[in-house]
Amino acid sequence: MSSVDAVVIGGGVIGCAVAYNLAKAGVSVAIVERDDICAGTSAACDTAIHLQSKSPGLHLRMAQESIKLFPELQKDFDEDIHFKKTGTMIAIQTREQNEVMRVFAERQRNNGLDVVILDRAAAVEKQPMMKGDLVGATYCTADATIHPQFLTKGYFQAAKKYGAKAMLHTNVENIALKDGHVASVITNRGNIQCKYVVNACGAYAPFIGKLTGLDIPIAPRRGQIVVTEPMPKFTHTIVNCARYIAAKFRPDLLGTSEADRMGIGLSLTQTERGNLLIGGTREFVGYDTRTTQKALLYILQHAANILPALKDIHIIRTFAGLRPFTPDGLPILGNVPGIEGFVMAAGHEGDGLALSAITGRLITEIICEKQSAYDFDLTKLSLERYKNLDIKAFEAQYAVYK
Amino acid sequence: MEANTAKFICRCQEITEEEIYKAIEDGATTIKGIKDRTEATMGLCQGRTCRRLIERMLPASGEPSRERYSCRPPVRTVKIGDLLKDESSKGEFE
Ligand SMILES: Cc1cc2nc3c(=O)[nH]c(=O)nc-3n(C[C@H](O)[C@H](O)[C@H](O)COP(=O)(O)OP(=O)(O)OC[C@H]3O[C@@H](n4cnc5c(N)ncnc54)[C@H](O)[C@@H]3O)c2cc1C
Ligand code: FES
Repeated sequence: MSSVDAVVIGGGVIGCAVAYNLAKAGVSVAIVERDDICAGTSAACDTAIHLQSKSPGLHLRMAQESIKLFPELQKDFDEDIHFKKTGTMIAIQTREQNEVMRVFAERQRNNGLDVVILDRAAAVEKQPMMKGDLVGATYCTADATIHPQFLTKGYFQAAKKYGAKAMLHTNVENIALKDGHVASVITNRGNIQCKYVVNACGAYAPFIGKLTGLDIPIAPRRGQIVVTEPMPKFTHTIVNCARYIAAKFRPDLLGTSEADRMGIGLSLTQTERGNLLIGGTREFVGYDTRTTQKALLYILQHAANILPALKDIHIIRTFAGLRPFTPDGLPILGNVPGIEGFVMAAGHEGDGLALSAITGRLITEIICEKQSAYDFDLTKLSLERYKNLDIKAFEAQYAVYK
Repeated sequence: MEANTAKFICRCQEITEEEIYKAIEDGATTIKGIKDRTEATMGLCQGRTCRRLIERMLPASGEPSRERYSCRPPVRTVKIGDLLKDESSKGEFE
């Protein structure tokens, strides 16, 4: 039986970020992934390191601290992760939306995020492509984009550079406890003795929880995306719409049409190669990663409504991924009650790329029992905050095992 | 000085043989593993030209894979404006 201090389960952006930070801090670590890195959501997502889509308070503050770390990561990685400050504009299409976004932006400004609201004329002047159906837009220069797979690969390769052991195609089948403490991880390729196990399985984290009798309220929330042919620079910022923000935090505000129930809201980013990624949906359909014709038409119709020039562009591909959704929109990080050495690092919904850097730092502080460099209230991120949640009702409401 | 001898395996994305082998060294055993590490197969032809070539480079004794490599719609590129002429999507946002 091999032996390490910590086993990180899951080779997505979160597991790789945690393994990287642990290895760099001198902890002996193995990263165990049942398939390959990027096999889950971390290769089926958009490219945003977004601040404007974060809820004012802890959520936004974590993202603000996280985004500061990417230039440093780039220096430590051998390959380019395409980190680029781009800013975001969020299209506002009705007077009601304008009121909601005005309050949202004001609260973000109180958190130190410089968001302004432009009227239609000013918005179109700033972003000439955005001349469709809108009454105004927010504007903020702090948001950035990144290459999701290269970011995950960057963490993974740097983790190995600092001594992390990579175990791909290795499925975690059980976790053995001894006297209430994690003792070893049991895989299809042998057992690994360890003091800590980090559950970084994203939307699949509940299955790892079940191995030790833990209920973890994470549900897969599907997002569908359309990819276009490469284009010259289309917009100079990320573009979202107010519906996107509502779909993320308050889907009840959207209405009851079929498109509303799919959580259609605009996200538009452009890769370095020029492909536009146009989203998206927020749907609770269990672990189904198929794309649907209906959703793609709604996505494109809504996008072209705001950016009419899209009509002349060709699409080449579509994909869907599963966001690890939690009831309050915050990830589940840190120790769990009753099992010493079991550490959570999952549930980042649509924010996993953005929050990966800070998550790696926080988990490493926890495992190394170091004084935190941040003043976050970790009880708001703990699994224990859900101790009164009815897990059966949660699973039923969010179609977990549909 | 870049010698002009680089052998492109994925021509759409200009990914070299060397980059593919580096991805295999990093642990890639499938087309998806290569694609996520290099962007090969993601070009305009969507891997029609290069997928076969890459498959031949993958380790023969390949690791067990859960890969569900699927070609998702559209099979041919299609103009967004043409797609939206489809009646079935009208009316939701108007
Ligand atoms: C459409 C869409 C758009 C998005 N856009 C953005 C964006 O612009 N910006 C942003 O910040 N975030 C975005 N996200 C969210 C982001 O992609 C996720 O939060 C993030 O990828 C989650 O990473 P993860 O490592 O937790 O999970 P995953 O990437 O899913 O990794 C979990 C891994 O665990 C492995 N695993 C599971 N069970 C086992 C087992 N028993 N043994 C071993 N391994 C196991 C899986 O194979 C998988 O590789 C988006 C998501 C979607 C769906
Ligand atoms: S040759 Fe690789 S995508 Fe076309």
